[in-house]
Amino acid sequence: MVRRELRRKYQGSALGIAWYVVNPLVLMGAYYLMFGVVFKVAEHEDYPLFLMVGLVVWVFFSQSLLSAAPALLDQGSLIRKARFPRETIPAAVVTVQAVTFLAVLAVVAVVTFALRGVGASVVLAPVLLAALFAFVLGLSLLASVTHAYFRDVAPILAAVLLPWFFLSPIFFTPDDITNNDGARAALEWLNPVAPFITSIRDVIWGGVWPSAPTVLYVVAAAALALAGGAALFRRMEAELAVVV
Amino acid sequence: MRPGEIALDCASRAFDIRGDRGRTLKELLLGRRHAGGPPPVQALNDVTLRIEPGETVGIVGRNGAGKSSTLRALAGIVPLDSGRAECGGRVVTLLELGAGFGRDFDGRENILLNGALHGMTRAEIEDRMDAIVAFSELGEFIEVPVKTYSSGMFVRLGFAIAAHIPADVMLIDEVLAVGDEAFQRKCEQRIAERVQDGVTLVLVSHDAALVERTCERVVVLDGGAVAFDGPAADGMAHYHEMMGTVTA
Repeated sequence: MVRRELRRKYQGSALGIAWYVVNPLVLMGAYYLMFGVVFKVAEHEDYPLFLMVGLVVWVFFSQSLLSAAPALLDQGSLIRKARFPRETIPAAVVTVQAVTFLAVLAVVAVVTFALRGVGASVVLAPVLLAALFAFVLGLSLLASVTHAYFRDVAPILAAVLLPWFFLSPIFFTPDDITNNDGARAALEWLNPVAPFITSIRDVIWGGVWPSAPTVLYVVAAAALALAGGAALFRRMEAELAVVV
Repeated sequence: MRPGEIALDCASRAFDIRGDRGRTLKELLLGRRHAGGPPPVQALNDVTLRIEPGETVGIVGRNGAGKSSTLRALAGIVPLDSGRAECGGRVVTLLELGAGFGRDFDGRENILLNGALHGMTRAEIEDRMDAIVAFSELGEFIEVPVKTYSSGMFVRLGFAIAAHIPADVMLIDEVLAVGDEAFQRKCEQRIAERVQDGVTLVLVSHDAALVERTCERVVVLDGGAVAFDGPAADGMAHYHEMMGTVTA
């Protein structure tokens, strides 16, 4: 109940909902120019769509973390004055991001399906998206509660997310940039976001089944992130009214 | 625990009052702590208090005597270092009116939002909507975003919502001085009605006359400990004596 109302609140404040669609589109245009035309890192069919699928996943991930981190402090007056489940605050932030993410992804998917057709593997999409949501929610709980105690978390996140973006298989696949098996495996498996991007792109852009290890990785990472984030949040939330 | 019953058992709570309370990650990693600065303040020091359902209790004391800390501990907003704080049934806290209002939303939306924060279901809020709107005397202003409200309108809406939330226990911190005189009287009357209905009331206030009017029992806090606990008239006498403001 509280959750729904908080969501309403945040959605209401996101009046310029168009911006959520425009921003990734502009980003995609810029990256297409950079990596598709100027540098030519990768050759893929329908490259803008290839790019876009990865990009919306990334934008959801990074924007959720960046906006969840300071969320508890922003709502400090509420936390000091009222008793309610504190996790609704980061959860509301992530949910708002998820709604816009789904809207943009739906547009991309419709265009992709129209141009490239639909594969049977698309039935996996709900599972992958649910896992992505759980993964992002878990990490956002972690980011928000740790930031309330240690104000360095948000700047560290901002600093880490930029190189992380370039190391994630958004505008390339690991195959495109390296022939070294070790480096490729590292790009594919050491970056927890990579399997999400790869598998979601497989089912929407590629029309193929993602590999079983990738799907298992995605589900396991989601469960781990959510369980870990929720557990830490519960341990640290008691003193929130004092620290925010 | 019966609804409306309140128990504080040997409750203690200290607050760290360093201005720079942000422990940074670096300090944590290096295992370093701030040295110096004022020592923690013992806001509550072994406070034991039992309040029966339907009682009306005023908490008075100097600034910093632990009044607000007592309420926040009872409300479960701030955990105790040791001891136990429990309230039976539904608890409504009025620590700050209008906390959690969305400034871009109109009055009705904020009633829904605020009600939800207090754990009411949508149907429960809808049932009380008209009563809340009427009580707030906002008239057509209920349709415009609260950021356009005057501060008086803002707190009137906040009080109207809180006053209509079903509760077994009401914890009120110095927020009855709301609006003009007529509205203040109305607030007091509303509180009295709720007390008639059997709500347990805990009121923190510096307004001696208000405490004497609304409370049958008074707890005087001093330095985080109970200095007096008893009938309102005796309690207020003790309070005035302690403060050196005896008149007569």
